Amino acid sequence: MQKPRALVMAGDGINCEVETAQALRLAGFEAEIRHLNDLVAEQVTLDQLSSKYNALAIPGGFSFGDDLTSGKVLALKIQHGLGWQIPTFAERGGMVIGICNGFQALIRMGVFGKDISITYNSSGRFINTWIKATPSGAKCVWLKGLGTMDLPIRHGEGRIVISAARKTELMGKLERFGMSCLRYEGDPNGSEDRLAGLCDMTGRIFGLMPHPEAFVRWTAHPEWTLQPARASAPGQGLAIFENAYQEAIRGKG
Amino acid sequence: MFARIEVAMRPEYADPAAASAMRRLELAHPDVRKKVRWCRMIDVYWLDMPCSREELIPACTEIFWDRVLQWLFTGNLIPSAAGKHGGVPDLMESAPIRPGHFWALERRFRPGVTDNIGRTTMEAFEIVLGRKLTGANAASGSLMLLEGPELNEEILGVIARDVLCNELIETWTLLPDHELRKNDRFHQERVKRDVPQVTMRKSGAKAAEAEPVRLDGLSDLDLETMSRKRLWAFSVAEMRAVRDHFSDPKQMERRKSLGLSLPTDVELEVIAQTWSEHCKHKIFGAQIKYKDSSAEKSGPAADIPHEIDSVFKTTIVGTTEQLPKSWLLSVFEDNAGIVAFDDDDAFCIKVETHNSPSALDPYGGALTGIVGVNRDILGCGLGAKPIFNTDVFCVATPDYSQTLPERLLHPRRILDGVRRGVEHGGNKSGIPTINGALVFDDRYLGKPLIYCGTGGFMPRMIGGTSNARRCEVKEIVPGDRIVMIGGRIGKDGIHGATFSSLALDESSPVSAVQLGDPITQKRVADFLLEARDMGIYRGLTDNGAGGLSSSVGELAQLSGGATMDVGLARTKYPGLKPYELVVSESQERMTIAVPRESLSVFMALAERRGVEASDLGEFTDSGTFEIFYNQKRVASLDLEFLHKGLPRLQLTAEWTGRPKSGTVRQQPFEDDGPKKLLEILGRPNIASKEWLIRQYDHEVQGASVIKPLHTFSPGTPQAFSGPNDAGVVKPKATSTAGIAVGCGINPKLSDVDPFLMAQAAVDEAIRNILCVGAEFGQPESLMALVDNFCWPDPVGDPLKTAWLVRACYGLRDAAMALGVPLVSGKDSMKNDFKGRRDGKDVVISVPPTLLMTAIGRVPDIRLARTADFKNPSDSIYLIGGNRLGLVGSEFQAMGGAVGMEPRVGEPDWKEAYKIYGWLGGAQGKEQSRVRSLHDVSEGGILTAVVESLLARGLGAAIRVPDELNPWDFGFGEGFHSFIASVGEADVAVIESEWNNYQIPYKRLGLVTSGERLEVSWESKNWAVDTKRLRAAWRKEGYWE
Repeated sequence: MQKPRALVMAGDGINCEVETAQALRLAGFEAEIRHLNDLVAEQVTLDQLSSKYNALAIPGGFSFGDDLTSGKVLALKIQHGLGWQIPTFAERGGMVIGICNGFQALIRMGVFGKDISITYNSSGRFINTWIKATPSGAKCVWLKGLGTMDLPIRHGEGRIVISAARKTELMGKLERFGMSCLRYEGDPNGSEDRLAGLCDMTGRIFGLMPHPEAFVRWTAHPEWTLQPARASAPGQGLAIFENAYQEAIRGKG
Repeated sequence: MFARIEVAMRPEYADPAAASAMRRLELAHPDVRKKVRWCRMIDVYWLDMPCSREELIPACTEIFWDRVLQWLFTGNLIPSAAGKHGGVPDLMESAPIRPGHFWALERRFRPGVTDNIGRTTMEAFEIVLGRKLTGANAASGSLMLLEGPELNEEILGVIARDVLCNELIETWTLLPDHELRKNDRFHQERVKRDVPQVTMRKSGAKAAEAEPVRLDGLSDLDLETMSRKRLWAFSVAEMRAVRDHFSDPKQMERRKSLGLSLPTDVELEVIAQTWSEHCKHKIFGAQIKYKDSSAEKSGPAADIPHEIDSVFKTTIVGTTEQLPKSWLLSVFEDNAGIVAFDDDDAFCIKVETHNSPSALDPYGGALTGIVGVNRDILGCGLGAKPIFNTDVFCVATPDYSQTLPERLLHPRRILDGVRRGVEHGGNKSGIPTINGALVFDDRYLGKPLIYCGTGGFMPRMIGGTSNARRCEVKEIVPGDRIVMIGGRIGKDGIHGATFSSLALDESSPVSAVQLGDPITQKRVADFLLEARDMGIYRGLTDNGAGGLSSSVGELAQLSGGATMDVGLARTKYPGLKPYELVVSESQERMTIAVPRESLSVFMALAERRGVEASDLGEFTDSGTFEIFYNQKRVASLDLEFLHKGLPRLQLTAEWTGRPKSGTVRQQPFEDDGPKKLLEILGRPNIASKEWLIRQYDHEVQGASVIKPLHTFSPGTPQAFSGPNDAGVVKPKATSTAGIAVGCGINPKLSDVDPFLMAQAAVDEAIRNILCVGAEFGQPESLMALVDNFCWPDPVGDPLKTAWLVRACYGLRDAAMALGVPLVSGKDSMKNDFKGRRDGKDVVISVPPTLLMTAIGRVPDIRLARTADFKNPSDSIYLIGGNRLGLVGSEFQAMGGAVGMEPRVGEPDWKEAYKIYGWLGGAQGKEQSRVRSLHDVSEGGILTAVVESLLARGLGAAIRVPDELNPWDFGFGEGFHSFIASVGEADVAVIESEWNNYQIPYKRLGLVTSGERLEVSWESKNWAVDTKRLRAAWRKEGYWE
């Protein structure tokens, strides 16, 4: 059987494309790293994207230097330069993961609603640390069946905010549709309701601030030397990509 | 049309930019901070867009406005994008005090300075409008809104100069309350005036020509004056050599046939950059007469010869020559040292310093330092991918409270600036910062030392199977095109190389400072690695110090000549003089040798990757370096003279012996021991650096194995981190091998003897990577060293020259004894500040400082080690431990008494080789029996034990071995020592192995669950709670 295919975006300051592609490959995908400018030059349409790929990954990084707020210009380039409507890709059965800067770009595109935004950590500082994140609800296909995970965060703008005027209404909506799918155990950045990740109403578009692709082998954990016997084990982030693989296989079957 | 856009966070959200500015104000002027009751920051953009109002409004709305978070003030362009008033008054209404006393400071870049946000804004408009915008302009800046009844123009000037702006690259204006409430600043004519334009001198044909310079007939004094005025940093002897070269009849005839007579300013500038101390390392290459007039005449330092023909050749290159290794691919020849990681891939490493620019602008200096050394890796061999950074900063103590000499910045501001520089230079480039150190000493007040290092990875064979070439061999043939890629040339960074070859003083030029642009460089890096794998270029190097003059001048040696027209180079603005084009150090540029047949493919790929490329000329075999400006010849330099005509420097050195250490009676250990331990844990050199490390991305690229910190229970409220000794990354998905990188630096020992200081730096660097699992002792064991000397100017000072000689020979002694070759290095020899403090002349020189960086292969990362004790009842061992002493220790620097017969820790390399061979061999890693390993360095054994138990909140019970003085034991520093822990079940096996291998060790005690450190000696003991140890070590307060 042909492997499911994943497109991993690169260029313009995206910088986690290699490890994101590697995580997808470990999970079973055939992952292809493509430069944004090539996609623009070849005028790859949404139809072509849908017919060729089961999954799209927008990796972490500092696209356009985080100038004009994080993920903003990348979002403009995907919307205007490529003319892709990400929700349409999902409706046609595609899966999307936006990690860190990729998540910020999804938010700027309005994939999770126009009253949600993301801004500077409440500390005002960039932070690289490990957190615990717990999935909630069964909506997100990427998180199906997963428990609490240890994952690294590495960001200066990870605080999810919801328009003050419509907060109660929106929080209810996110909960009802299962969109608030991943929460921190603690409060590393001041994010609304400790949100670490969101999915869209189909559960197929998933964005998160932690980096699952940075924990595909156990030896990446900051405390792994406590249990040297586990040194060959996979990391907890890999399961997220494996879920997508299973979903893609099911879709094909 | 023109537009001014102001973007403000809505008042219900915090404003981190304002908070950060207020933190910096608190650091710089606590009294002024008290006068500011409220502050908000507003982003400002000035636009000159060739589009209609109808196009501009939706584009601006989409690009600038996040409705959830922000207000947009645009005058009357987009009225609905703000609060009630549509302007700054809306924000003022949210201030806690009304009506309030408001002021604003507007910051913008000086014309011509790199404006990264402005450039991104342009790209955003092109994306949204769907077309190239020629002639458009976008600039960024900010407006700082302040409230306080005691504020006045004078105080605001202080805030502007010391917090908001760096006046070297930015300007500011004051806007009082009534100005702010008006909308004048949004008017078309006003914006047109405010968009920064570079107004150069009349760019007529005359101004942009090369200038002939008459040297013959000038006296030594005239020559010296000319060199100083033009910032050439030539000595009189060098000026004479240049003068004689150009008046040599053969040269005159050759030049006459080309239409040149007098030397041009372009030629003199090229020679000045090429011959600068920064580029040519004249001091390292000097002939030195060394005299040892000290009383102590034994040991390896007594063998230093009296006539030294270049310490670089004899001690550094010479050491590696005597240590041949099959895995050494390229040493001291390229931008970086290259070694074979395995049969398929190679690893390279380079460490640079960026001291002088960082003194003037710590942020820009550190940022350019990092992206600069990244380019060394990109331009190393046929091009490598940067896989980690390592940063070491030496600054004055953060609580420095004396008057600052004029023009110097407070160490906290230096530290804050370099921290932001690393954040932007490292994080944004996607390169993890996995190792580093901070060293505090008030002698770094004049020039902070900013060491930036990068490791790279590349395939050993490049360019496919048919025409594959070895990665370490640059080969350029006549006819290859000279292509400059990346950033454009501007006036920034002119004279960087010569400037850093002089002492810092009040007249140091502002043009020497540059701002890096990590995103342009990231694009260049992505493009280059793609082009490399396609095999469409033949050689490359970075444009760092000296700009094109260095990069093309160096590469020209490979083919035997070069000819280029600098009029073809892309520039930031018109009107640059030919010499400026040649020596400008504008950032993010690389010079590539592209074969003619692949030029069109190369240029097309560059275009597609958004990388600008200029074809400037070609490499030749003419023996000369020819430079044209718009087809007119402006330089014709003999390559032989350019690279080899520099007169040798002659130095004399005299060593007068080690100073006597003070002998003071020590207090009883039971009274003062716990107090001194807590005090030493809170010393800036020892206290936790977590506040800094967490602001660096140390995990991007997904290869992290051993991080700068080990962490107990991450992600929980109980999480606590302790230090690791070195970083480990796993560079290949298909291999279990890793690379360890660590460093050693101990400038305190320079006050005793730089020979010892250098030995200690080598020993510490190697011990650090051994701790995490690097291999050692077998011929194929991959371990190598990089040296970085930062010295007070030794020229004309026999003692400082002797320090240099001794450090070089100490380095050689250690590297030879341990069999570890040197592969790369750099020296910076002018780390002095000459200025004024309180109206008096003052000179501040750094202590002789040698940073050693060690790299090593970890054969199997699954056997890597961290420094933390793991389980109660594990045994604690001191491995080594015979070579420690209090002289030159942190304890002594703290003012601790060093005893009646103070001891100096001296090395014993035979003993070291046994210990390191075991730790770095298979036995030392078997079954992970050594559960934790930490080197004994600053703060001695007690500090090492505390650092090992902190994270898990465990305790330890240790006993001072009977024969030792508890002070010497507790706080002595020196050589070859480690603190290890071993599980109960493995104690017998391990001890018998150590006995077999003659490894010196002492069992000190046990790890306990008691959450306190108990120390016993003779019949006495004391104990300190782990909580108190943690609190002392985790001394906060060094935040920006």
